[in-house]
Amino acid sequence: MISEELATFLAAGHSGHIATRGERLEPDGARAWAIVVDPDRIHVTAYVMKAAASGIVENLSSHPEVALTVDRVIDHVTWQLKGAAVEVRPARAGEKAEVVRQADGFIGSLEAIGISRRLTANWRYWPCVAVRLRVTEIFNQTPGPGAGERVK
Amino acid sequence: MKIALETLGPCFQGIFPSMLFTCSKAGVPNVALLSHVEYLDPTHIALSFQFFNKSRRNIAENPQALLNVYDPDTAQAYVLRVRYVRSETSGPTFESMNLRIEAIASHSGLKGIFKLLAADVYEVLSVDRSADEIGIAPAGGTRSAAPPDAVFTMKALQEFADRIHRATGLEALLDSILEALDQLFGFHHAMILLPDEQPGRLVTIASRGYPEDGVGAEVGIGEGIVGMVAEAMKPIRISGLVRQMLYAVAVMNRAQEQGLCRDSRRIPLPGLSHPESQLGIPLIARGELAGVLCIESEKPYRFHEEDKAYLEVLGGYLAIAIQNMLLRERIEEPDEPPAAHPPPPPARPAAGDGTRREIAFYAADEVILMDGEYLVRGLPARILWKVLRERERLGRVEFTNRELRLDKSLALPSYKDNLESRLILLRKRLEQRCPEIRIAPSSRGRFALDLACEAILVERP
Repeated sequence: MISEELATFLAAGHSGHIATRGERLEPDGARAWAIVVDPDRIHVTAYVMKAAASGIVENLSSHPEVALTVDRVIDHVTWQLKGAAVEVRPARAGEKAEVVRQADGFIGSLEAIGISRRLTANWRYWPCVAVRLRVTEIFNQTPGPGAGERVK
Repeated sequence: MKIALETLGPCFQGIFPSMLFTCSKAGVPNVALLSHVEYLDPTHIALSFQFFNKSRRNIAENPQALLNVYDPDTAQAYVLRVRYVRSETSGPTFESMNLRIEAIASHSGLKGIFKLLAADVYEVLSVDRSADEIGIAPAGGTRSAAPPDAVFTMKALQEFADRIHRATGLEALLDSILEALDQLFGFHHAMILLPDEQPGRLVTIASRGYPEDGVGAEVGIGEGIVGMVAEAMKPIRISGLVRQMLYAVAVMNRAQEQGLCRDSRRIPLPGLSHPESQLGIPLIARGELAGVLCIESEKPYRFHEEDKAYLEVLGGYLAIAIQNMLLRERIEEPDEPPAAHPPPPPARPAAGDGTRREIAFYAADEVILMDGEYLVRGLPARILWKVLRERERLGRVEFTNRELRLDKSLALPSYKDNLESRLILLRKRLEQRCPEIRIAPSSRGRFALDLACEAILVERP
């Protein structure tokens, strides 16, 4: 189960990336613009911009393995969740506000490390594909000795 | 349209974090942050291997990977499909990556922990633009390999050389170098460090573009980015220094948690309080380090490959100019001592209130404190103490460089004593900290001591 503290971290609007793999073990991935943790704190939903999600969607149709990494760019505290996709669907209109909020939070943190909003003005994060996964493993992925240590 | 890897040079400056996607043999994907990506040739890149992590284990099992990189000028993301080829633990690629990583490590107090284990070479199979992280239009409308503010024109280089040739002494030479870098090439914040008389240290001798000129600031060879340039005698260009420091600090925190790193001391950089880009150029003449030129900027991606290449070439020229000036000043020193000692003139009237200054020389440490605050140490301290004492005892106010060289109490090295640079340092430190005491050149190889205050000399063990 995802701790309450980690659930707050995941949904705070940091730098998210989702990884999948294809038939011949070729990895694919994209930015996850938002992450929502289910109340059961076992399932999470990652939101990937539809235009960047074709490889992921295709992979998940036959190989459900997913890795989801969230990095707080101001100090690189990073967590990785692993599990299996249980649902892939178009994101609903009612979910847009949360995606926008988290994406804006991430872009704001880039600004805090010197990457201006002028540069990121063309980044697009809607419409999205929602990938819901059941989390089975959690890793502390903060760079350094011991990075990748499993905590669940 | 196919995107050529060689057009993505700016993407490999580490300003945006890169992500590496891998997959284990068992089919479990992984995505992790990456420290450094280096361009090698039109079909290869190298990734830093610093820790035995899951990405590295996956690559050992399955060489396929995906990499995200970003153009720092436009924020366009690119997706690189790559295949692991080999790991290098020596050679130019490894050395180049290692130097940058060592510099960051040293700067953040992480030497020995934040280190490169190998440069992992990957073949780049395809490059695509990301469909969501879309960049803005590049400055000027088209992507150019040249930096936006390239200034190394033949005319500017000729003017640069002319200014150096016109310099009549070491101080004027150093000042003209920094002024020309600023006015001709737009490098507004720069400093020159020369080897100190204390082995293994560099001392700042001239600077431009800072609120305080920082003359006298020291850096150990091998410490920080400047110190690493001196140790390796190779240029180091760091972009996005804030981002790279954040990564290093994250590593340090992990290392401390695991008891691997107790010393969190950081080497304070002289210069800008928040430099985003640094370019360190070794000044090398005949295989010998004559100094280090350090240029800084608050822009994350200020120094391009062209800047580094031109300044590396100019660095050799500047090293010879500095060495020649030192030699010339020594050769042209007068043989005869100054005229008979007159009684000391009354002190110059002080600008304000008839100032008194306590000048304390701590003999064991060879340090001078002025009214309790650090002024200079080492040879500049010994020189100042000598001339102040001789003024007090004998009434002397004029001195020659030659007599300083012959004075055994000053213990100048017999070979390459760098006396001129020590005098410049002393003069500038006095200007900063105690303008009532001046050491002013009176003619070639001579200087005069001028006091506008009452100097209370105190010698302490």
